[in-house]
Amino acid sequence: MRDKSLLKEDTDRVDGFDKVTGRAKYFAEYQIPGTTYGVLVPSTITKGKITGIDSKAAERAPGVLAVVSHLNRPVVAGYETGKDQGVPNNMMKIFYTDQISFNGQPIAMVVADTYERAVYAATLVKGTYAKEAFETDFEKNLSKAKAPKNPAQASYLRGTADAYKNAAVQIEASYTLPTETHNPMELHGILANWESADKITVYAKTQGVKATQGTIASTFKLPLTNVQVNSEFVGGGFGMALRTWPLEIAAIIAAKQVNKPVKLVITRDQMFTLAGHRPYAFQKVGLGADKDGQLTGITHEAWGHTATYEDFTENVVSMSKFMYNSANVNTTYKIVPLNVGVPIWMRGPGEATGAFALESAMDEMAHSLDMDPIAFRVKNYTEEDPEKSRPYSSKNLKEAYKMGAEKIGWSKRNNKPGTNKDGNWLVGYGMSTGVFNASRGRASAKGILKSDGTLLLQSAASDIGPGTGTGMVQIAHEVLGIPVSKITFELGDSSFPTAPSQGGSATLSTVGSAVSDVCNALKAKIAEMATQSGLSASAKFVDVLKKNNLPSVEVTMESKGGEEQKKYSMYSFSIHFVQVKVNPLTGVVKVSKIVSVGDSGRIVSPKTARSQMVGGAVGGLGMALTEETVMDHRFGRYVNNNFADYHVPVHADIPEIEVVFVNKPDPYINPMGAKGMGEIALIGFSAAVANAVFNATGKRIRTLPITPDKILA
Amino acid sequence: MINFTYVRTTTAKAAVGLLAKEKNAKFIAGGTNLVDLMKRGVTAPDRLIDINAVPLKQIELVGNMMHIGALATNTAVAEHELVKLHFPLLSLALQAGASQQLRNAATVGGNMMQRTRCGYFYDTTMPCNKRAPGTGCGAITGYNRMHAIFGGSEQCIAVHPSDMCIALVALDSTVVLSGPKGERKLKFIDFHKLAGTTPDKDNNLLPGEMIIRVEIPTNKLAAHSYYVKVRDRASYAFALVSVAAGLELQGNKIVDVKLAMGGVAHKPWRLLEAETFLKGKMATEANFKSAAQIAMKNAKAYKENAFKLKMAPNTLIEALNLAKSKA
Amino acid sequence: MSVKEENIPENEGRRDFLKQGTLFTALALTPVSLLKAADQKADEKFAELFEKVSLRIKVNGKAHELFVEPRVTLLDLLREQLALTGTKKGCDHGQCGACTVHIDGTRVNSCLQLAVMNEGKEITTIEGLANEDVLHPMQAAFIKHDGFQCGYCTPGQIMSAVACVREGHAGSKGEIREYMSGNICRCGAYPNIVDAIEEVHKSGVQV
Repeated sequence: MRDKSLLKEDTDRVDGFDKVTGRAKYFAEYQIPGTTYGVLVPSTITKGKITGIDSKAAERAPGVLAVVSHLNRPVVAGYETGKDQGVPNNMMKIFYTDQISFNGQPIAMVVADTYERAVYAATLVKGTYAKEAFETDFEKNLSKAKAPKNPAQASYLRGTADAYKNAAVQIEASYTLPTETHNPMELHGILANWESADKITVYAKTQGVKATQGTIASTFKLPLTNVQVNSEFVGGGFGMALRTWPLEIAAIIAAKQVNKPVKLVITRDQMFTLAGHRPYAFQKVGLGADKDGQLTGITHEAWGHTATYEDFTENVVSMSKFMYNSANVNTTYKIVPLNVGVPIWMRGPGEATGAFALESAMDEMAHSLDMDPIAFRVKNYTEEDPEKSRPYSSKNLKEAYKMGAEKIGWSKRNNKPGTNKDGNWLVGYGMSTGVFNASRGRASAKGILKSDGTLLLQSAASDIGPGTGTGMVQIAHEVLGIPVSKITFELGDSSFPTAPSQGGSATLSTVGSAVSDVCNALKAKIAEMATQSGLSASAKFVDVLKKNNLPSVEVTMESKGGEEQKKYSMYSFSIHFVQVKVNPLTGVVKVSKIVSVGDSGRIVSPKTARSQMVGGAVGGLGMALTEETVMDHRFGRYVNNNFADYHVPVHADIPEIEVVFVNKPDPYINPMGAKGMGEIALIGFSAAVANAVFNATGKRIRTLPITPDKILA
Repeated sequence: MINFTYVRTTTAKAAVGLLAKEKNAKFIAGGTNLVDLMKRGVTAPDRLIDINAVPLKQIELVGNMMHIGALATNTAVAEHELVKLHFPLLSLALQAGASQQLRNAATVGGNMMQRTRCGYFYDTTMPCNKRAPGTGCGAITGYNRMHAIFGGSEQCIAVHPSDMCIALVALDSTVVLSGPKGERKLKFIDFHKLAGTTPDKDNNLLPGEMIIRVEIPTNKLAAHSYYVKVRDRASYAFALVSVAAGLELQGNKIVDVKLAMGGVAHKPWRLLEAETFLKGKMATEANFKSAAQIAMKNAKAYKENAFKLKMAPNTLIEALNLAKSKA
Repeated sequence: MSVKEENIPENEGRRDFLKQGTLFTALALTPVSLLKAADQKADEKFAELFEKVSLRIKVNGKAHELFVEPRVTLLDLLREQLALTGTKKGCDHGQCGACTVHIDGTRVNSCLQLAVMNEGKEITTIEGLANEDVLHPMQAAFIKHDGFQCGYCTPGQIMSAVACVREGHAGSKGEIREYMSGNICRCGAYPNIVDAIEEVHKSGVQV
């Protein structure tokens, strides 16, 4: 945010200059004198006990300062308060015991004076183990599934269970989504520096500086004010930085041990084991409809995996409860504990998993009914949330269907699969709907109007990429009318006023509301000062400050939603349209055109909003066609834990993407009328691709990703 | 990675001499595969001999032979006017591999020496006869979606990863080697070997030998050459199956044909029987299909790569179709 | 100790020295000044002496005379020793392109380059693409077209994009996509990046 004079348009990203010049500093790039390097030593067994750690050779190696493990770590105050106490969310306590729960779990950390020396010394540390039998195969362990603790998540019933079985037209199908790994481009880690025995500063990769601060404080039993977390730039997260990982605690422990700053940057293969993933999921969907296409029953059952040492749950079946008008709906959701690192929400989280199944099933039903998939969805459209029996705060999907259909050329779609060709390639069109909760949480912000004509805003929010600062500056500009170039929004600092973690598409709504409220309060304050000092109420704030001989005026306030949250169901919606081309000989699927329509209230920051929708489509395309984290269950180890074998889409996979916004303000959610869109950008996309592949080939592929071998099978 | 000693050299003779002096020394040129393997602990040389300054970068026509030096980069070869004119198949194959950044660093010799991408080979905690002879093959009863369907052994079913080499094998290339006993020539099809009982050896290079250049005889296939690479994403991925196809046509009659397949064997897989079948026949879909049938003789699939039994012949047909229709 | 040419003595390396089992062999080859420096913590200092080699390298126009271990990659040299953190580590195995720099004008993955392989070479990183506070046309185009979100792959994308135009591989969207495929963007800014590159190419501006 150094020099915004080089930004040509008001809608340019406020941190664009820093990002394109390499000046933006990510956690591992802060220079602290005396910094040492930590490297983790991963376990090579999947379950059992550590019987010994031979670290002699490593300790003798040049430059090595320490080999930290459960055998010699310093006291961690939060570890000493009982088995499951002291650490938030029952997070695995690293270097706590000899217990191994998953392959790759760190057994030690080597700290050395240079990166190369630490890396080498880590290879010299040899663990010995007493192996135990383990389970990593999701499908083989489905019978061990358990209900999540939250009963509302576990099951739901409206009307009659399994009503689809009595319907005139029925479909019943199973869908499988393999494990996916977030893989943000920036590697995870932390830079930890104990300023004194009970005061620490960390540079972290986190989607929530306050959350990280809280976890560190409780783990080490420190006052919050003694934990400073900085995270101005985050090289992507997609959910994996929504929690503090044990590896971060490991570096903080090691820094304590060597009494020097420790920088830990994990490897790309460790990103697969130590920093979460989207869990493997198996789903069964049953749909029933009458001959005219009215849904009469929806049954949606889902299973996802979790770790043996922590429970992870997400909302896989929620969309089935409220998206379509069916008198009868029943859902269940269960989790299967496995010897893997614990999963974490990945963009769109469970809703994206669920939408793949539901929106594929909707397409299957439309096909059975010989109905156009859009017409089928419109037929079952709801103006009221059937789950909560209350109106939506805003929903413009009928309009959105029309907008998208026109842009993609839906009229060229033939409802009969396998009939549309371009040379030797089969052509297909598919669509799907996405939906995600639109919420407004609680956040605080500080605003300082200065006599030099600038506005400084601060909040402990995060920006993992969507453009939080850019959005906040737009909001402030709209309220106060100050030029965008004179407004600065600072984030990623735990000493700023509290803001929630960046997740669940809530930042713009929540933090944006705080910014809006603060700016309105500043406006009122200036107006009041103006009148009191004999100026007109509409006097410019610079003049008011000068008249009062004040360098600045400041407001800090908390902001949160009210009763409207109980009166209305608030959701953001999306519709994804794709055109695919399938080579029937080689099985190659090319997505040749994408149109994504966002119905998420008013668009505050048009350029970044469009980019977010584009990014979601790219992520969705990966989910649909290329991404799968593969494990060898004989060893409990991932076999494609790198960017060459775990296929994230590349430039050549991505066609033109057209983004369309309904752009109508939501009258209730927040002062801006804007709803979040980070999740809806991806939710449902994979189903649109699967539906298009069916339209092109007549092959219904229910296991992602849709790789060439599946087309040929 | 372990530390090592490093030395630069400027002549092939000196390089070969240096290599002979140290048991565990390796040449480094582009380093795009070697540095990766060293980081993973798959290989740990005591000494690296930097041969980048050895003058082996030539790309030139010598009589009816194209000479390409071992140190010419993949980009230099792919984009060379003579290569594009006479051997578009080689150009296409090179461009189908890796990324521009990697091709800029990777050399012809290094590409020939590129090791398999098998996940078990790369993970030093897992069994792999190629990396650690005698430890078993992780892939045969494990994750073998990417693996061989031709010429596999009971010890290793890894596939050769290069695209360039598939084209070179199809083009009847010869490789020139220099060793302690002087220079020798080897048909490129005999450069790489099947895994057999020595899967740790990828090729027939003798101890102490260095790759000097590759020689490609000119041909009349340029107008009808195509390289098809089927992969899990549109670019920057290793082949599930790839086919290099070159046709010499008189009208619709096949006068000459060269075919090789990648992603299917421990070495670039030349399809001589299919070529023999096609020679003299008409370039029809039916003949392409028959050739594909012939090419698939003796193919054997494992649990997760059975799809290659269909993908491989289909890709061959696709490559022949595209080679034929190419303007 | 500098790297000599092919007439290099047999025992210049630390491991050779250890294999010989005697300190004297090594001492005989070591300049006196270095021995003095190695007074204390002999093991450690010897390790450094025998493991490091000299390296002359130019980075963004600035000449450096360095003394580095052969195992140090160009990427780690830039980030950890020269504090040039604009070049990013995304995978460390040549599989993502975040570490793309220009070596003598050619784009390569700096993570797979040993630093010592670049003796006498000129390296350009994102920090050296433009002068202070003046943007390179590609940087400006990335801002205009919003060719990034989190920004982490961005320096690599921009270095690659500049090379892509210079190489003559920016003739169409399809060509740009193929020749930019070595740069992964997980946020999915691809279409915007392609728009930025296409615009710079079409503008004909010198890059």
